[in-house]
Amino acid sequence: MTTGTARTLAILFLTALVGLTVPLTATELVVWHAYRGKEKAAFEKVVQQFNQSNGDGVTVKTLAVPYDAYADKITAAVPRGKGPDVFIFAQDRLGGWIEAGNTVEPIDFYVDDEIRERFLERTLEAVTYRDIVYGLPFNFKCITLIYNKKMITKPPKTTGELVALAKKHTNAEIGQYGLAYAYSDYFYHAALMNGFGGGVFEPGPKATINRPENLKAIELMLKWYKDDKIMPGEPSTALITSLFNEGKAAMIFNGPWFLGEIESGVDYGLAVLPTIDEAGGAPMRPWMTIEGLYVAAPSKHKEEAFDFINYLTGVEAAAVMAVEGRQLPANRNVYKSPKILHDPIMKVFLLQGKQAEPMPNLAEMSIFWSPATTAMNTIVKGTANPKAAMDKAQVQVEKAVAKLRGQ
Amino acid sequence: MSKNVVRVTLGLLVGGLVAALLGHWFAHGALKDKTKRILVRHATVRASALADLVGAQETIDKKSKEAYLRIAARWGEAAEEVEAVRVLRLSGSRLLASSFPEDAEHGAAPRRLKRAEKALYDRGQLLRANIDTNRQEQLAREEEVMIEWRPDGAVQLAVPFFPKSKPDRVAGYVEVLSRPRLELQPLPWWPTLLLAFIPALLYLIGNLVLAKFRDEDDANGMWGLMVSACLLLATGLVAFGNYHLIQLGRQHLTFEQNLAARYMETRGAVAQVGTQMELGLELPFRNTWDLDLYGRPHPFISFDGELYIGVDRAQEAVANRLGLAFFGNAGLAFALLFFFGFGGAALLWRTLVDNREAYVYTLPALIGMLVLVFFPFSYGIALSFTDQNIYNTDKTLVEIWIGLNNYIEILGDFNLIQTSETGWNFNYENFYWTLFITVAWTICNVTIGVSVGLTLALLLNNKRLRFKPLYRGLLILPWAIPNYVTSLIWKGMFNKESGPINQIIQMFGGEPLAWFDSVFTSFLTGVMTNGWLSFPFMMVTCLGGLQSISSDMYEAARLDGASKWQQFRYITLPSLKPTLTPAVILSVVWTFNMFNVIYLVSGGDPGGSNEILITKAYKLAFQNYQYGYSAAYSTVIFAILLIYGIFQSKAGKAAEANA
Repeated sequence: MTTGTARTLAILFLTALVGLTVPLTATELVVWHAYRGKEKAAFEKVVQQFNQSNGDGVTVKTLAVPYDAYADKITAAVPRGKGPDVFIFAQDRLGGWIEAGNTVEPIDFYVDDEIRERFLERTLEAVTYRDIVYGLPFNFKCITLIYNKKMITKPPKTTGELVALAKKHTNAEIGQYGLAYAYSDYFYHAALMNGFGGGVFEPGPKATINRPENLKAIELMLKWYKDDKIMPGEPSTALITSLFNEGKAAMIFNGPWFLGEIESGVDYGLAVLPTIDEAGGAPMRPWMTIEGLYVAAPSKHKEEAFDFINYLTGVEAAAVMAVEGRQLPANRNVYKSPKILHDPIMKVFLLQGKQAEPMPNLAEMSIFWSPATTAMNTIVKGTANPKAAMDKAQVQVEKAVAKLRGQ
Repeated sequence: MSKNVVRVTLGLLVGGLVAALLGHWFAHGALKDKTKRILVRHATVRASALADLVGAQETIDKKSKEAYLRIAARWGEAAEEVEAVRVLRLSGSRLLASSFPEDAEHGAAPRRLKRAEKALYDRGQLLRANIDTNRQEQLAREEEVMIEWRPDGAVQLAVPFFPKSKPDRVAGYVEVLSRPRLELQPLPWWPTLLLAFIPALLYLIGNLVLAKFRDEDDANGMWGLMVSACLLLATGLVAFGNYHLIQLGRQHLTFEQNLAARYMETRGAVAQVGTQMELGLELPFRNTWDLDLYGRPHPFISFDGELYIGVDRAQEAVANRLGLAFFGNAGLAFALLFFFGFGGAALLWRTLVDNREAYVYTLPALIGMLVLVFFPFSYGIALSFTDQNIYNTDKTLVEIWIGLNNYIEILGDFNLIQTSETGWNFNYENFYWTLFITVAWTICNVTIGVSVGLTLALLLNNKRLRFKPLYRGLLILPWAIPNYVTSLIWKGMFNKESGPINQIIQMFGGEPLAWFDSVFTSFLTGVMTNGWLSFPFMMVTCLGGLQSISSDMYEAARLDGASKWQQFRYITLPSLKPTLTPAVILSVVWTFNMFNVIYLVSGGDPGGSNEILITKAYKLAFQNYQYGYSAAYSTVIFAILLIYGIFQSKAGKAAEANA
């Protein structure tokens, strides 16, 4: 053996030794997220703060996973013990992961009243499944009213005002519309549906897609489109973006993700969605998606992992995520700080969030989308009446759910 | 002694031995299973009775600190075999009483749970959630009794308790660690040995004796040999099976009698503790403690501890599953007998020995195939006979076995047309619609691929064409780019507002098309994308074929005065056939299962009408979570392609024979 190889071997041996001893002294947690840009920078800063603040040797490492592959990666890796200790995801997949098992750790036990009171109304509900808390809400997103300040000086408070204002700004000949939103997409439509007191599952996984409240909401949407003619046909997200940027849409319903797509020349304002005259003045209640912080069930450091997510939902961390990451934290106390209180965008989203409905976190939601989309498309195109289309979707979803839950 | 007698004897020996060992294993498994179940039932009776006591106390006085401790302590004394007891209330996560040694480390009960004891709280929440779910769905789907086996054979079992004031709401649970004593007789080995050796031995002796009176055996003799062997084996199997079924039936009956005694004893103990503690507990005249995993009472015991069933019923209960296993076992034994008796085994042995080197060389590949191909494949097939879905992945395949139901549901559903108030339309969810689309999709694509590929190949084969490598390189590009990238680009091209295709239509004064909104145009988007993806392969294949055609043939044809068309029809096409046929076969299989293009371009829109079989199977599994049903779908796809393959190769062979 040459001295060279002997030295290499010695080095290898030493690194192996070091590699063996390091985990014994410090606990290392891994967190998965799908953030990019500002959000990623802010998140990493918060994690850095946590690493410095705690003395007992818990260090957290972040791993950014590309969004497209994120959910599948969690589904495949976490139950086999190959995943992180903590991961962040919206609530829509939660039910499926809980039912599949060994993915999300229940943390109900750790969540005391003090922690419960920290969150905005109903956000904790989104990460609760069968009355057990499975995660802590990190931030929320929902749609609200965005208007072009050049055209609208005072945003409407009721749907009556909305229609009147929209009619004034509609000129179909030059392709200008008073109101534009993806009304055939059920996610956007849900604001009206919830406003009328409707819903798609309730109680539990029982499908209620064709209930009368839902039909009333669809009729109102159809009235706006067909009778009042204040909305464009074929409302794809791309069309709405271009209409708004060209100044050809006075008002739109859209979420915080849209703000980045507005061109710098457009002077826009935000307002809470109007109340519905047709539903006795009840407010429009959009679906809210909540990103939850979850402890992975196979994690070997569950207590430390909970301490970490507890820190992430605290005021200090939430402030960084709000100011630098432009997120809407689920922590209610952060909105008291003057920096955020006077932010016109955050203010409106906070108000809207208080009037929003968490999207159901049932596993069965994935069954719902395809029939609902088909139903909405046929209704908008006029090839089926609302009742028939929704009945069909109801039967389809009912059948698929019955197959899962066993008779 | 003739060769045949040796073979049949060997067959009897191997068949008998395998059946005996497997049978012993089944019987042993059945007994173990039975024992475990009965142990759980003993523990359930103990725990449920205690839960009633705690529930009664909960109704009278929730605040009392001592009462729960006293109930637990009394119960520990009164109930034999109970080693430790734990009572936990969910509200406030309070440990009301506990004699578990591990709980004592964190302090004596009553107290709040410590942070390290999260698992105890989670168990209670899970029980509560399971019971709520079952009540809500009115089904027995989630477990209402939590069982944990300790490595030393003790069973730890948790059942919920309910206060009388709120009988629907789980207030907490009681957990009992018990080590029930059961007198178990080990299974004897002698029936196994008898089945393994006696038929073969009898047969051998019989034949030795008979051989004295008989000459050379002939073809008829072989059948005689086989029939007598079968009779011997059958007798052995029936005797063996019956013995075990009767034994197990007896064992089962004893178990049930023990359990009945335990039930009455427990009833006495509860009455005693109830009176001492002045709980005002009234014991109902029905079975409320001997519950199954889903909280449903077992039907075997009446309230006064009488057994409802006799020996025959008890045997029946055992016979169901074990009997089935024995039948399968017998089938295997006969198969082995025939395999050996008719010389199959001898033949196999000879090939193995003669070609041993070849087998050794292919062994690594064989093992690889076994692990990577055959195992997943057979698992998929097995899955297709179950109704596995996201809610029952923890169950074994046998428990959720539903036979051919999935296939019946897929193939037997002829609701192809739906009628509604507005008229009729096709039911896009139906299998036959999807099959029709898949076949249409395959035929269109292969036709386009072959015709475009062949045309381009003919153009490129022109000797006078300049810059040929450049064209060839460019034309192969669509093939070189990953197909999902191409698919996503094409999806963008079909976009109604911003897609270039609609912009071109508008340039010529047409109306923009909503490509994905009607069945036909949406179908076209897929065909165009796949045509773009598939012609380079055909082109390259054809080009290779064309270049291998000797130019002498064309020269001879020209001399004979054949036109260009005649040259193409009678020389080019027939010469291309050997290269084109396998390419078409391959391309059919690829296109039939072309997941990416459909999934990424149209996504099956509108309303799932343009789904092909493979994307449908995917959606069933990952959107509707019906794993078993989706596996059956995939198996049907496999069967279709298999039939196509067999048909194609037969047709190919026939064509070759005619040529």
